[in-house]
Amino acid sequence: MSKAGPKRILIGKVGLDGHDRGAKFIARALRNAGYEVIYTGIRRTPEQIVRTAVDEDVDALGLSLLSGAHNELFARVVELLQQENAENIVLFCGGTIPDKDIPHLQSLGFRRVFTPGTPLAEILGALEAELAGKR
Amino acid sequence: MDTLVDRIRQGDRRCLARAMSLMDSAEPQGRRLRDSIRRHSAQVPWWGFTGPPGAGKSTLIDALLIRLRARGRRVGVVAVDPTSPLSDGAFLGDRVRMMRHAVDPDVFIRSLATHHSPGGLSDATLHCARLLELARFDPVLIETVGVGQSEVDVADVADVCVVVLGPGYGDDIQLIKAGLLEIADLLVVNKCDLPDANRLLTAVRQEFAAAAGTDRPVEVVGIEAKSGKGVDELLDRLLELDRSVRDTGRRNQLQYRRVLGEIKRAAMLTYQRALHRGLEDGAVRELVDKLARGDLSLESAVAQLSATVAGAREDAPD
Repeated sequence: MSKAGPKRILIGKVGLDGHDRGAKFIARALRNAGYEVIYTGIRRTPEQIVRTAVDEDVDALGLSLLSGAHNELFARVVELLQQENAENIVLFCGGTIPDKDIPHLQSLGFRRVFTPGTPLAEILGALEAELAGKR
Repeated sequence: MDTLVDRIRQGDRRCLARAMSLMDSAEPQGRRLRDSIRRHSAQVPWWGFTGPPGAGKSTLIDALLIRLRARGRRVGVVAVDPTSPLSDGAFLGDRVRMMRHAVDPDVFIRSLATHHSPGGLSDATLHCARLLELARFDPVLIETVGVGQSEVDVADVADVCVVVLGPGYGDDIQLIKAGLLEIADLLVVNKCDLPDANRLLTAVRQEFAAAAGTDRPVEVVGIEAKSGKGVDELLDRLLELDRSVRDTGRRNQLQYRRVLGEIKRAAMLTYQRALHRGLEDGAVRELVDKLARGDLSLESAVAQLSATVAGAREDAPD
């Protein structure tokens, strides 16, 4: 099923992490780059995030987490997306994620993992490349 | 197309979500879907919520969702936020206030961007609300962008129109001005825990009392959406209004108004595009020169331009 118009990206905060400056910074930058950004707000469950991603029919889902629980919570999000047959959604994530965890997250299906200090242009360029030709 | 419609009716959420994405599409599949669902719709009341930015529309809808669910209703929500005039992007933040309903299978919330539509809704709003009806959500709630005084498109599609105001709206002079307040079936003053809201509530009540006999009577309700104070009483009023618009006569009237609005908007877009093509025509230069020199009246210039545009029309889709 094809779609027109700007691509839609859900920015989600999962788990007990009350700090969303990074998520809002990315959301604003994506808006300025021409995406339609849906934001979940903080302290959401994987179930809420996945249900929202499916109902909003987003092209990409970006998870932000700073609490250190990324391996468990992100894996749960991926599992739920599979249950919903929503593997077409491009996954990316960001936050305080140690380098040693990045291969694991990539193996879960996260196309890109952005750690603190990543230049904004790099993030936008990477997402554009990942979303090119989607739909 | 029929299988898609069938699957939506059977409650396939993913199909519903994907169909909503098609509603903005100019491609044949989107056009066909819009045409195929029109006849199924207008059975269920749509409640429109409008008002200035920050008045508490999303928070009120969240509070109403809790209570409608408690009464066993399946509720669909379409929430519209503005498209950036600079980037074409958008930040759709309405559902942040409604996230507790995200996992409820009997609630469906969809965020839409205006895509530069000027009246407080997007073109896809109507179609998405129809899809929610098709998926057996009842009622369907529509939240406009934060509006000023004259964005009143919601009155064309909603059965029940709720205008939400918050403290800081202004004095009685703002209340007399035409526009937003005229479309209200129910006027809600939110944030009544704040002193300014109570002044506004008094001013609104006085204004409507003064208008008695000249204007349509409108009920005014004071609430605190966040704590839920007054929301039960508001819902009772909404449900009364909801019952009063369910008879067949009203349903037919509504369907007529919506479809007429659709034809009007689509025709205007078509004419607008033709006009823009006409304005690129070389002959316009001569027309402008003549008008500037005083050799032609504006009316004659428009008549000549219209003739050019009508002659050049070739875009009949399908």
